[in-house]
Amino acid sequence: MIELSNVRKVYGDSTEAVSNVSLEVSQGETATLVGPSGCGKTTLLTMLNRLTELTDGEIIIDGTPISDHDKIELRRNIGYVIQEIGLFNHMTVGDNIGIVPDLRGWDEERKKERIGELLDLIQLPLDTKERYPESLSGGQQQRVGVARALAAEPDIMLMDEPFGALDPITREELQDEFLEIQEGLDVTIVFVSHDINEALKMGDKVAVLNDGELVQYDSPRDLLANPRNAFVEDFVGEDRLLKQLSLIPVREATTSPSELDERTSTVLHPDDTLKSAVQSFYHATEPLSVVENGQVVGSLSERDIRSVVSDSAEEGLPNKYA
Amino acid sequence: MQSIATSWIDYILANQDQFLGLLADHIRMVGIGEIIAIVIAVPAGILATRDPRAARIIEGLGATAQTIPALGVVALTFTFLGLGQRPTILAIVIYAVFPILKNTVAGIQQVDDSMVRAGRGMGMTNLQRLRRLELPYALPVIFAGIRTSTVLCIGVAYIGVFVGSGGLGIWVQAGLTSVSYDIMLAGAIPGALTVFAFDQIFKYIEQAVTPEIIADDLEADTNVAA
Repeated sequence: MIELSNVRKVYGDSTEAVSNVSLEVSQGETATLVGPSGCGKTTLLTMLNRLTELTDGEIIIDGTPISDHDKIELRRNIGYVIQEIGLFNHMTVGDNIGIVPDLRGWDEERKKERIGELLDLIQLPLDTKERYPESLSGGQQQRVGVARALAAEPDIMLMDEPFGALDPITREELQDEFLEIQEGLDVTIVFVSHDINEALKMGDKVAVLNDGELVQYDSPRDLLANPRNAFVEDFVGEDRLLKQLSLIPVREATTSPSELDERTSTVLHPDDTLKSAVQSFYHATEPLSVVENGQVVGSLSERDIRSVVSDSAEEGLPNKYA
Repeated sequence: MQSIATSWIDYILANQDQFLGLLADHIRMVGIGEIIAIVIAVPAGILATRDPRAARIIEGLGATAQTIPALGVVALTFTFLGLGQRPTILAIVIYAVFPILKNTVAGIQQVDDSMVRAGRGMGMTNLQRLRRLELPYALPVIFAGIRTSTVLCIGVAYIGVFVGSGGLGIWVQAGLTSVSYDIMLAGAIPGALTVFAFDQIFKYIEQAVTPEIIADDLEADTNVAA
């Protein structure tokens, strides 16, 4: 678990990159740090592994302030993935993945086993370990980058716009894959993104930063439903209601038992998002049957959807950016 | 009448022992000078990449060293180093340092920044970064610098004749003063051939020291350029 208390970073020329940020990331959770360019998100991230040193405040990991740890030991216990990928081009994929275990003195057998495990996890064939990074595609390279970060079984992983250098299709693929991988791991992740959609997709909690300050720190749905001020409203986007739809499964809004007498020809699955449900509403007419394992389990209407989605940012909300 | 083209060969053959002695002295001076220069220049180069202030001082010194005429160095230093090989070796060291230094710095700096950052972030110490990431890329460049400076210094060693260092310069000077082309060429041409030989040897070492994957890269680049 990671605790940041009143963290501040001031550079030599008096630029305050991070001002008084406090937040907590629970064990096993993913927190995304998002905000416009220059908001301090990367600075904040790099303070966690002491690549950037704190000016003020404290960062406590699992009860111990990071200043008490030896820098090098700290970093070897934290996975680090960067946007440029940074694979070691003169080393094989296998040696890349095994680098931190090697630094920590694991024996050959254990390293070999771990490399095999990880290649399996990132869905690359075992013989990839003999190949060199430059023969891999960008997406494959970053998968290796992720494997490399996980190799020594860290408790924490830091990711700095990890999919930023990839094309949109590959980026989405990797995001989905990573979400799957995440489910099987008990790693606490801090993920920096400049893209609100990525932040909402990847995070259990999202921290919105602006000008070095923490503006709001909430779950994706709470952030969308209750943006604290005009900046967050703006940043999150005009379509925040629609964004909520892509975060909520049909299951939550389903009326059970079905309101319909007959099963509709177009059906929805409980795990579909409300967003895809709305799309289906355009092709067929609502309400639609919700079907799981071949059985009708309920129905979904527009009214059902309205009852689940909320938007508290109405005219009356104080607007400090007006 | 003997042709100039072959008379120097005859001269060498006729004075084999002396020739081998001069050649040995010549190469020994260059060798010792080079080794000392490497021991100074490579650590200094590494230091210069770590600390920007050190970098300015070091590079300034190195550049200055290059501009001092070797003959001047030799003339000055023999007053306290005495006659013999030492002043010449010193001149060689001073001359050889800059190319090696420059190449060490350039070799390390051309290493991909993102690689080094990734390495730092995952807990490599300074030394580990150097050994595992930077040197594999920098070594070929450093050796290129050593090659350049060795080749330069074979020429510098000729000047040693003025302070009794021995070496092939003795024949060159003897040839000049007695206007005997055969002796002069017998001193000069082996030097040129040695330069060529060393150049080839170092090219071979450079290749041996370049990780395969980088060599392939360079080859691909040159093919594209052509």
